[in-house]
Amino acid sequence: MLTNFLSRLLRMVIVMFGISVITFLIFFATPGSDPAARIAGRNAAPETIAAVRHDFGLDRPLYVQYALMMDRLFITRDLTSFANRGQKIVPTIVSAAPATLSLVAGAAILWMALGAMTGIIAAAFRNRLPDKILMGASMMAVAMPVFWVGEMINLVTQSRLHDTWAFSWVPPLGYVPFTSDPAGWFLALVFPWICLALLYIGLYGRMLRTGIIETYQEDYIRTARSKGLSARRVLLKHATRTAIIPIVIMFGMDFGVLVGGAAVLTEVVFGINGVGRLTYQALKALDLPMIMATVLYASFFVVVANAIVDVLCVMIDPRMRRK
Amino acid sequence: MDLRVTSRRGRRGRALARLAITAAMIPAVAPALAQAQEAHRGGTMQLMAVASGGTLDPQINYTAQFWQLYSATYDGLVAFKKADGPESNTVVPDLAADMPTVSADGKTYTFTLRKGVKFSNGDDVTPEDVVASLQRIFKVSSPTSGSFYNGIVGADDCLSSPADCTLEGGVIADADANTVTINLVEPDPEFLFKLSVPHASILPKGTAAKDMGNTPIPGTGAYMFTSYDANNSLTMERNPHFVEWSADAQPEGYADKIEYKFGGTEESAVNAVMNGQADWSFDPLPADRLAELSTNATDQLHVHAQSAWWYAPMNVNIPPFNDVRVRQALNYAVDRNALVSVFGGPALAQPVCQILPPDFPGHEDSCIYTQDPGDTWSAPDMDKARALVAESGTKGEKVNVVTEDNAASRGVGTYLQSVLTDLGYDATVQTVSGDIQFTYIQNTNNNVQISVTQWYMDYPAASNFLNVLFGCGSFHPGSDSSINIAGFCDEEIDARMKSAMTLGATDPEAANAEWAKIDYAVMEKAPAVPLFTPRRLDLVSERVGNFEYSSLFNWLIAKSWVQ
Repeated sequence: MLTNFLSRLLRMVIVMFGISVITFLIFFATPGSDPAARIAGRNAAPETIAAVRHDFGLDRPLYVQYALMMDRLFITRDLTSFANRGQKIVPTIVSAAPATLSLVAGAAILWMALGAMTGIIAAAFRNRLPDKILMGASMMAVAMPVFWVGEMINLVTQSRLHDTWAFSWVPPLGYVPFTSDPAGWFLALVFPWICLALLYIGLYGRMLRTGIIETYQEDYIRTARSKGLSARRVLLKHATRTAIIPIVIMFGMDFGVLVGGAAVLTEVVFGINGVGRLTYQALKALDLPMIMATVLYASFFVVVANAIVDVLCVMIDPRMRRK
Repeated sequence: MDLRVTSRRGRRGRALARLAITAAMIPAVAPALAQAQEAHRGGTMQLMAVASGGTLDPQINYTAQFWQLYSATYDGLVAFKKADGPESNTVVPDLAADMPTVSADGKTYTFTLRKGVKFSNGDDVTPEDVVASLQRIFKVSSPTSGSFYNGIVGADDCLSSPADCTLEGGVIADADANTVTINLVEPDPEFLFKLSVPHASILPKGTAAKDMGNTPIPGTGAYMFTSYDANNSLTMERNPHFVEWSADAQPEGYADKIEYKFGGTEESAVNAVMNGQADWSFDPLPADRLAELSTNATDQLHVHAQSAWWYAPMNVNIPPFNDVRVRQALNYAVDRNALVSVFGGPALAQPVCQILPPDFPGHEDSCIYTQDPGDTWSAPDMDKARALVAESGTKGEKVNVVTEDNAASRGVGTYLQSVLTDLGYDATVQTVSGDIQFTYIQNTNNNVQISVTQWYMDYPAASNFLNVLFGCGSFHPGSDSSINIAGFCDEEIDARMKSAMTLGATDPEAANAEWAKIDYAVMEKAPAVPLFTPRRLDLVSERVGNFEYSSLFNWLIAKSWVQ
């Protein structure tokens, strides 16, 4: 167990080191990436730029700059942005994380519950009307781009029908911290959750349906049936349990990536200032410290989410325990 | 669309001001008016922006977004008048009790400080604070330290070694007389303008000599910053130690609190203002909402001319624009009306074919590159343009237009591409992220031929456009900071600009007449294509009253009320 944990940790460190080096090198290879003039401000005198360059250590060799950046990011934690002079990176990400986590966690509960339901019901009614309706709807959910759905939701709830009974309860766009107002937190996140979850409900529902139908061909299902188990028990206890494993693995990836910042479109459309929006803005402004920190943050979550999923799979699938 | 969306509220504001003058003469009416003003006092103003403006340090931040806030939070020795319209270009005494006494040679300015002014931390403003603040401009490598304040005696040493800056002999405090004397190397007619911008804000002498980032620095204005998170929000509250000393320089504010939220999209900001969830948004209104807003929210829209221009600088040092005929040809060929439509119509822009914006000091209507050259632009002259291109023999050459990644800039770039193609060039458009494009196009190493960019005034002086954008001193080959993007350096014109600046110290009117001629002379060499003068369109919520607009700080937030 401990060796397993340690080897995972080691692998994570290697992955993150590789990612950070690549990010760092790509930045300096990008044309127009030299931040000195942007930090110094428009029409700055050459002396001012030289002073800024020296201040930020941009006149030192690349490997020194890399080491300094890692030191300031992980050890002293006082790394500051290149774009918003004086903005400390670590506290900014720490304060943006709860918003993203709330958004993604809520949406994940929604999409796992509804996605599983969609898949199971569709499989149970294979090729009949409920199946066709659910599969049609999930195809639509997968096909609609998330930013468009978000803008449409906003158009209806914040503009066109905002003053009607149906949507007058919708609070202004933005994130309300859970600690300051739990009810407000919930209301503000209802539509962002739905918007983010839609795609995954459709995707997971379709995958689960196919998985269950495939599992129905297996010998052990035939055995279960011949033992005289009810159709519902076969479906839920036997077929779904096996078919859900790929879904759980995929969930781990999706969840990690989204917490790491891939929910950016939903965040921007709903005015939630999370990690995704930070990453996006940092990329736009070529703000290396922020890019570096958010990229490492994201890769950390992907690695951690994968580790958790591995444990979950062992719990769900008895076959894995034997290995 | 109604082009002149003058607001009724604005007129009401002016009517109130007139009333105020009358009221002052009739003492009996005064209490009633004071009561009316008092009724507007209070409440929380809600502002929005897609992103924050970066560091909160007033000596470093160089964004219109935060300069607007500094106008109500910090003061210089002198300040731009907080007034509506052209009056906002005048300089009035602020922390100084009166305008400074200037020595006969124009090199020595003596300011007497106002008594009793306090910082928001309760400390008195003293001559030492002034000295420390002016030193701090150099110690923190303020963006303008080398361009605005390099004329102060001792500034050279400060620029070469910022940490040990003393401005010895340049800035002298006399605590007993309560005065500060500033010595310049050369007379500078624009020096008071430079002291009026936020970079010359007076801060407490103990302020650390480093970028304070998100930490608010105490100031002397009607408001003070109480919290700032660049990723979420900013709050301003009344400065408890503020007592109005000059309504022109630093007026008392109406709202008790100002909250600024960052995030979302321009689209959602419009919805929030229309729903009354916010009072105003900093970002330009999305073009597709303008038609709807101009009919539904006429009273809430405010249009103002800006002292700015959109232009396409052409690199005069590489082909094909190293041939003056090609640069002139493009100037003849560009249809300014088409560009105005690209930018959102006549409500948002005005065609222009010279450098100094309309109503700017030194501006005299003139247009060389139009069908019938004269005062104003009328229509493109394609025949002349084609003839010039044919003469230059550059037809068929490759031309790349570098634009920013926003819709307006890309639209302008695509239009320029079509004109260049029409003229026989092999034209392409390259789009670069808006945050990077501005420095990218300045660096000669990137070999940018033509680009689309803008310039907004720092202060109302012709040199801020002509000398800064087309002076030899602003051309630094190989540097990201070479604001003379065209790389235009004409010895004769440069000498004329220098003498116009000297002339400005003694005879501003004659100097402005000379600037108008210089504008014409530069346009003859055509280092850039003037595209249009942008207008600022502000949408405020229904409850906002008394909208006043300053040409430097945009909307004067403190002077508007929300109840």
